[in-house]
Amino acid sequence: MIRLEHVSMKFNLGIEKEYSIKEAFINFFKPKKNKKKKEVFWALKDVSFSVKKGEVIGLIGSNGAGKSTLLKTVSGVLKPTKGKIIVNGVISPMIELGAGFDAELTARENIYLNGAILGYSKEFLDEKFDEIVEFSELKDFLDAPVRNFSSGMTAKLAFSIATIVNPEILIVDEILSVGDIKFQEKSKNKMLEMIKGGTTVLYVSHSLDSIRELCDRVIWLEHGEIVKMGDTEQICKEYYRKQMGKELKEKAD
Amino acid sequence: MIKNILVNFKRYSFLMRQLISRDFKVKYKRSVLGVVWSLLYPILMMVVMSIVFSQMFRFKVDGINYLVYLMTGIVMWQYFSEATNNAMTSVVSNFALISKVYIPKYIFPLSKCIFVGINFVLTLIPWLGLIILTQFGLGEFPASINWYYLIIPYIFLCFFLFTVGVGLLLSCVSVFLRDVFYIYGIILTIWNYFTPVFYSIEILPQKLQSLFQLNPLYQFITAVRSIVLYGARPSFMTLGIIGLIGVGTLVVGSIVFKKNQDKFIYYI
Repeated sequence: MIRLEHVSMKFNLGIEKEYSIKEAFINFFKPKKNKKKKEVFWALKDVSFSVKKGEVIGLIGSNGAGKSTLLKTVSGVLKPTKGKIIVNGVISPMIELGAGFDAELTARENIYLNGAILGYSKEFLDEKFDEIVEFSELKDFLDAPVRNFSSGMTAKLAFSIATIVNPEILIVDEILSVGDIKFQEKSKNKMLEMIKGGTTVLYVSHSLDSIRELCDRVIWLEHGEIVKMGDTEQICKEYYRKQMGKELKEKAD
Repeated sequence: MIKNILVNFKRYSFLMRQLISRDFKVKYKRSVLGVVWSLLYPILMMVVMSIVFSQMFRFKVDGINYLVYLMTGIVMWQYFSEATNNAMTSVVSNFALISKVYIPKYIFPLSKCIFVGINFVLTLIPWLGLIILTQFGLGEFPASINWYYLIIPYIFLCFFLFTVGVGLLLSCVSVFLRDVFYIYGIILTIWNYFTPVFYSIEILPQKLQSLFQLNPLYQFITAVRSIVLYGARPSFMTLGIIGLIGVGTLVVGSIVFKKNQDKFIYYI
């Protein structure tokens, strides 16, 4: 379903400095050895793993460990510097919801725009329109421009659009904490429903509780490398011990 | 390869339509007259321009209707400058989206060229209206109406391809070098004066005239003018050159864009 082979991702941190024509010009005439050395940062280093169909994989690690970069390479936004990524199936990326909204447009118009960005067809959106509206609980605000929405309302709308499909692969970056508690519960159930339906999921979260609840396997990333990969309970415990210096409480149930 | 491109086009045509209709909605969102402006604006522009150039400066081109001459130039120039300008900023201004969802990036400059193109087609209505009015005595000479008008869509198509090519190039280069935003503004101003929009190339010395022929915009505008004003079919050579300019620029633009598009994301 998803296979990553020795994937590495390089960023040039110094790139900011070469933005202007002046810098580019000066750099052009500098002798080779005097050239400013670009600061290189490897966001991912030789990451390999594979995910079977229907598996739910959790990604954990501290901020800047490379989790989001990993999701972006899988969804095709970033092309890896080295290595190969093989993905079979339709991906629905839920990375930062609502990126495709235009604040000037109404909710109704944005459903179509954002749907198109996520790759849905017009017929599909026509058919699912009511369902999206109902799930988002925003029926009364359909013709108001999104610029007047609160951030919670925007997030609810975005979540409803992104989850209306039954994708073969779902990429989720910390979005279950969207909206009010009622909506949070609803969105979690929606996720569970999709997982039960056989969707393959890559799930990033800092909430170990939800990771333990949802995931079959966990990958622990640190500094762009896989520290450990395997059984959810075991790795969550180790991760917690390493980060907090104390033991993780047993699962509630 | 062609098949791949077409499949890709079809797959993203709904997104393209959405982006274009977004542009329209946003453009006219809070105006009372809305889309009517697309028609009204060029008409008012024509009135102002005709007063400035034919009444105040008393520009003239011998033997033809100067108003039609001027308007053909202005309408086409406006399309080119607005479309390329919009296309240039389209990739950078959609970075928020590009960094989060996978979308083929050529969609942004292309949709801008189409969006401005629809406006351009709307401006052709008052333009044609003007040509008809000259038949009833507007200006000193009537414009010509003839069968060669059927060639005009071909010229506009090549003109569009040329514009898309330039737009792709600019949007790609401006990602790496934001200075291009300002540089291109200056280039456009210079280019405007070196394109015979409101004057005739014949007032220039012979040597300069042949130099001006190298300007692609001159070729496009002149081809349309020769049909509309002189009732003459542009030579097959000219039509061939126009086609070559259009397709050639598009191919060059596409190749440069495709080669660099994977690097865009590092320059956010």
